[in-house]
Amino acid sequence: MSHESPQSPKLSFSGGTLLLEGVSAEDVRQLFGSGRWVWDGRAGGRRCDAIEYAAIRDRFDQAGLSVDDAVSDWRTINWPEVQLPKLRDEQQQAVAAWSRSGRGCVIMPTGTGKTVVALTIMARTATSTLIVAPVRDLMYQWHRRIVEGLGYDAGIIGDNVFRVRPVSVTTYDSACIHMAKLGNRFGLIVFDECHHLPGQIRRDAARMCAAPYRLGLTATPERSDGRHVDLDWLVGPTVYDMPISAAKGRTLADYEVVRIPVHLSPEERVRYDDLSREVRSYVAERRKTDPKYSWEDLCAETGKTPEARRALKAYFAKRSIEDRAEEKLRVLEDLFRLHSPEPCIVFAGSNAMARDVSRRFLIPCLLNHCGKKERLEILQGLESGVYPALVANRVLDEGVDLPEAKVAIVIGGTASSRQAKQRLGRVLRKSGNARAVLYEIVTAGTSEEQRSRKRRKSDAYEGTRHRRS
Amino acid sequence: MLTRQHAIADYDSGRIFPDRLTQKLHRPYPGYAERMLRVYCRGIGRTRKELHRAVWTILSEAEDCPARRIEAFCKLLDDVATYDRDARGRAAALRKDVFHAAAERHPLVRRADRLFETEEARVKADIATRLGRPWRDIDRDLFADVIEFQRLVRFEGYADGAALLARYNVAQVQAALYDAVAMTVWATDDFKTILRYAKLAGLMHTITRTGSGQYCVRFDGPVSVLRQTRRYGTAMARFLPALIACRGWRMHAVIRTRRRGWNVGLDLSHNDGLNSHLPVPDDFDSHVEEAFAEKWGPEPRDGWRLVREGEILHQRQKVFVPDFAFQHEDGRSVLLEIVGFWTPEYLEAKQQTLKTFEDQRILLAVAAPVAEKLDTQPEQTIVYKSALLIKDVLERLNAVQ
Repeated sequence: MSHESPQSPKLSFSGGTLLLEGVSAEDVRQLFGSGRWVWDGRAGGRRCDAIEYAAIRDRFDQAGLSVDDAVSDWRTINWPEVQLPKLRDEQQQAVAAWSRSGRGCVIMPTGTGKTVVALTIMARTATSTLIVAPVRDLMYQWHRRIVEGLGYDAGIIGDNVFRVRPVSVTTYDSACIHMAKLGNRFGLIVFDECHHLPGQIRRDAARMCAAPYRLGLTATPERSDGRHVDLDWLVGPTVYDMPISAAKGRTLADYEVVRIPVHLSPEERVRYDDLSREVRSYVAERRKTDPKYSWEDLCAETGKTPEARRALKAYFAKRSIEDRAEEKLRVLEDLFRLHSPEPCIVFAGSNAMARDVSRRFLIPCLLNHCGKKERLEILQGLESGVYPALVANRVLDEGVDLPEAKVAIVIGGTASSRQAKQRLGRVLRKSGNARAVLYEIVTAGTSEEQRSRKRRKSDAYEGTRHRRS
Repeated sequence: MLTRQHAIADYDSGRIFPDRLTQKLHRPYPGYAERMLRVYCRGIGRTRKELHRAVWTILSEAEDCPARRIEAFCKLLDDVATYDRDARGRAAALRKDVFHAAAERHPLVRRADRLFETEEARVKADIATRLGRPWRDIDRDLFADVIEFQRLVRFEGYADGAALLARYNVAQVQAALYDAVAMTVWATDDFKTILRYAKLAGLMHTITRTGSGQYCVRFDGPVSVLRQTRRYGTAMARFLPALIACRGWRMHAVIRTRRRGWNVGLDLSHNDGLNSHLPVPDDFDSHVEEAFAEKWGPEPRDGWRLVREGEILHQRQKVFVPDFAFQHEDGRSVLLEIVGFWTPEYLEAKQQTLKTFEDQRILLAVAAPVAEKLDTQPEQTIVYKSALLIKDVLERLNAVQ
């Protein structure tokens, strides 16, 4: 084919795509069939998504054709000091399963050592690696784990830091933004909590990256929008799946869920009912003329009528009352008394509620505003016993390593079952003799009750015990 | 700039109309804008939350003001405000002190009993004594680094209420552009500025000549040939203020809506009365250019008419807009580029550009000290001392076949 083309074929990385120059249309068709490459007159070459790199390289190699390949900018990594724990059987199976193809998803329940599996794979693959995590807390946690396990000070891309190194950690949002520039710098890309990846924009983090080796980690691959099937081509098919029941009672602590209803104070109740009535009567009024009137319609209307705006405001005020019900603080005091001096972790439904708890009990509060240093100090403080308890908002929903805590108290949150599973995972982390308890404090006679019911549908909540109030 | 969460738009017959406040339909808004500016001007020391609440109070008088518009104004005001972000970490240090002091007395109970004597009020009073400040102050400062409790230290502000409203109108168009998949600009003027700012924003261009001195430029990015993508919408939004500051343009963008994924059109032109905070581009890059154009005048000389930035030369992603185009009545056309200022890098880049477009008829007017450094064909070059002379240029023009 080189006889037919004026120049030798050239393959390069260009803004998250591969650019192929110096190959005639006929040769491209012969080699790749139709459809994969798209002609781009602006650049004088053909483009396809960078994710195709491994397949395209294979095709060239199979056909025995030489190509001037300027894509890969990754290199071999010599880890300064590998110090990884001995793998348990399941972990070993996961590593072996992934190693067969060098791409794919590993499904393991929270607390069963996904990180160690990934670090082992990194240690063996020994190539430039990018770790993509959902939030910056997790990004920093990966940074720490890489220092501890592989002795490497990884680069950080995100949280207003842009320090790219051959091994780096980042968040999904930063990865999407920067992949157009960084997509050819890594031979292995690891997607932590990879159920986040198939989102319409976030998938660019995989699609615009040329890394031939890909690893996805998650406890809960399903997405309510059904897009998890796309993980097959974005990362690779599931290579290992460890069911939660296999983990329960073995590496994870045995657990029990206790639900405690609380009541609004008389003043709160009066105000709550007033607000409910306001919302209801507005919607009822609108439904007289439009039987299909919906929540979306209400939101859309707030621009047009002050009444709609008042109804929306009433709705949020109502939510705030159930979230921040005073009685919750009283029940919290009871639970603290009951479990003192055992460490407790409290999950709040909003930043405001988390701060209310923090200010009432003077326990540290993990929120988005916490700097890296403070966050570390709080987590280590709980672990070493300096702090008796901490309160967190959704920051800790996923994967952030928490010190051993046998008591978790949920005082609000949304109804998704994935969130519930992940939260439970926090408490169950690490085994011991004591049974772990998860308390759920719910405002009775409010919509919070319905959300709690929905939450418990998740199989992680099976065996819930109710406590009479 | 606003975020997607602030975007307000109407849709009609496949077109999108970003929210726009006009004198005719929104008479009270200049008044509101002035009041909002006053709130911030006098708001030094107040928390973000208090300032936003004050803006809410002002705009809740408006009959037709959606929550997003109120939030948008808060954002635009915050964009030109400086808050104390507690960079030294005083709040975090205070928290550490307080939580440490309270840890050994956990749990803080409402009322002491035989099991727990650690009464909330007493523990707090003890900590206050130990830190030497009243508990009220401690409680106030404990979360002073949280975004909504940060205090205003400086407000650069806007020139006046009208400037704030102008910025709002542009910002809403930008917010619509975040979801753009393609943008096309038809231009008859200010090519240099348009192409330079698009490039600065990181966009790729496809240039088509639609007539003498008229061009159509499609802006998008590398991935756009593979699929419709909103990836470059932010870059298009960043580019918008520069475009609005230009003259003689019309723009059409294809917006892919979030809720239903439909494509709608956004149309805009320099006649729409949007005001950019950027100045109108300078007519001339240098005095030499300006003096020459003035001397030449609007009338043709020997049949040659002078047009500023008359043509765009382009090859793939390389673009060159020479300072002037000479257009002869008989259809001949010659370009003129003036090289007055120089640095070694600048000269090298210029020479590279000239090589790319060597098949074009380009005259180079080069200042005498620069001429020594430049290696080009002599017949192309006119060396000038302090000013470029018309007779020298005409001589070369008339020699062109």
